[in-house]
Amino acid sequence: MAALLEAEAVSFTYPDGTRALQKVTLSIPEGKKIAVLGPNGAGKSTLFLHFNGILRPREGRIYFAGARISYSHNALQQLRQQVGIVFQDPDSMLFAASVRQEISFGPLNLGLSKEEALARVEAAMAATGINDLRDKPTHFLSYGQKKRVAIASVLAMEPRVIIFDEPTAYLDPRSTREVMALLETISRKGTTIILSTHDVDIAYSWADYIYVLAAGQVIGAGTPAEIFSDAPLLEAADLARPWLLDVYEDLKNKGWLPLEAPVPKSRDELLALIPYRCRSQLAI
Amino acid sequence: MFNIDQYAYSNRLTQVHPGEKIAFALATLLIALVAPQPALPAIIVALMAGAAIGAAGIPARFYLQLFLIPFSFLIAGVAMIALTITNQPLAGLKGLTLLGWTLGVTPASLHLAGKIFFKSLGAVSCLYFLSLTTPMVDIMTVLKKLRVPALLVDLISLTYRFIFVLMATVNDIYTAQAARLGYASLRTSYHSLGQLVANLFIKTHRRSQELFTALTARGYEEELQVLDVPKPFSWPFLFLAAGLDLVLLSLMFIFRRWTLWPPF
Ligand SMILES: Nc1ncnc2c1ncn2[C@@H]1O[C@H](COP(=O)(O)OP(=O)(O)OP(=O)(O)O)[C@@H](O)[C@H]1O
Ligand SMILES: [Mg+2]
Repeated sequence: MAALLEAEAVSFTYPDGTRALQKVTLSIPEGKKIAVLGPNGAGKSTLFLHFNGILRPREGRIYFAGARISYSHNALQQLRQQVGIVFQDPDSMLFAASVRQEISFGPLNLGLSKEEALARVEAAMAATGINDLRDKPTHFLSYGQKKRVAIASVLAMEPRVIIFDEPTAYLDPRSTREVMALLETISRKGTTIILSTHDVDIAYSWADYIYVLAAGQVIGAGTPAEIFSDAPLLEAADLARPWLLDVYEDLKNKGWLPLEAPVPKSRDELLALIPYRCRSQLAI
Repeated sequence: MFNIDQYAYSNRLTQVHPGEKIAFALATLLIALVAPQPALPAIIVALMAGAAIGAAGIPARFYLQLFLIPFSFLIAGVAMIALTITNQPLAGLKGLTLLGWTLGVTPASLHLAGKIFFKSLGAVSCLYFLSLTTPMVDIMTVLKKLRVPALLVDLISLTYRFIFVLMATVNDIYTAQAARLGYASLRTSYHSLGQLVANLFIKTHRRSQELFTALTARGYEEELQVLDVPKPFSWPFLFLAAGLDLVLLSLMFIFRRWTLWPPF
């Protein structure tokens, strides 16, 4: 699997002396769904800003598509076409006076014609379900709506990688489901997705691969099954276990599930595993 | 501010081409300013009120409340112009005399005050019409069309956005302070207000940095390019507006011949 983005021993210190990243090494395979987990202040957002060249590592290297990132003006513009970030706080992204204009900003920066940009804007609005907000000023939107506009504004640039910094924070359950479904759709089209989250259930069901960050260091990496069966790691990163695994193991221990039952990835898979106790009793 | 903006996006004239509204407002504004007679701006106030309330559907109550804002300033300012303090005999001076000094009004000062009063109200009504019927997006589109430098348009656009960010931030901080009894007494109020202001600067600065970062991430170079909102020209509005302004202009010349008071 070719790595699309790679960080190699990246360290970063903010001007005030906060050591936000220390020798972070990780790689993001193309076309995959990667989750980055870690407590508040672990350095997730800081790491993401390195991926499209907004922050420059003090030490270490960042690679994109096999080549080391160059920080010349033109190279950075190129990079930012390919690596989109949906920021944690949508208010920090929105600047324009209407939703449509907001979303058109990225595509126009790509140098697209008005018609192409408009087509991209329409497609992004349709994908995020905000068609009816098109002429609204961004400051009259609710938080969840702003989040969608922020997502659409990056989507419209059609980058190869989209980084979502806590896309489901503060969203209600329905919006959370819709955003995750949207990520699934984007991923199916071949876009690589990196996401940070504090929701272990989402990370467990959604991700192909997980990196765990704590205090600026990568303390764990693996498939969801590996990560969430590593109790000391979860302890160190202050992560809870997904309820799915808890229930699954409990059912197995108490004999409701056969020992060879596969580990379920989703709620439906788990429900499908649980056998009927006795058919004849059910028929009554 | 919030309300003006909300009406700008939702009034009945939103779909009229912004260029027409701007042209109408500015042409009328010009007439209000150059007309030598106070009667014309007074007519314009009524006309613009009709346009805003009748045509655009702005609630009359809200419109009148808006007018109270400049009204109070105006009354104070105009009073200073109308009043004269002098120890010289002046033509038609009426007022209180004390120790040879008179505080009073002359027909000339009254006339001047009246002229300024009506002119200001006329001008304000034109600008209110524009800001109540035309969203900022549209105004910016027209500015760009008129080849106003991109830097200036971007600046206006960011200022506009940040007014709301600033107000939201003030609101958040204030609520957070009030919830913890920050405004319970006069002393704590002063203290809280001081902190609010200081915090506001820090927070807003941080916000602007975040915004810059986010814009950079989307490929911002030197211009905030966005798609314009295409709006069709509406000929009825244009003809009506042009007709009204022509009537006003002719009134100006007719009044000029008939005028009893010479313009000062
Ligand atoms: N602009 C900044 N200046 C100084 N320090 C900063 C700045 N931004 C972040 N930090 C610090 O860097 C560290 C990592 O922050 P970062 O925002 O990357 O964490 P995070 O993992 O995204 O956390 P969260 O889950 O809360 O979003 C924190 O200790 C934070 O205080
Ligand atoms: Mg963060």
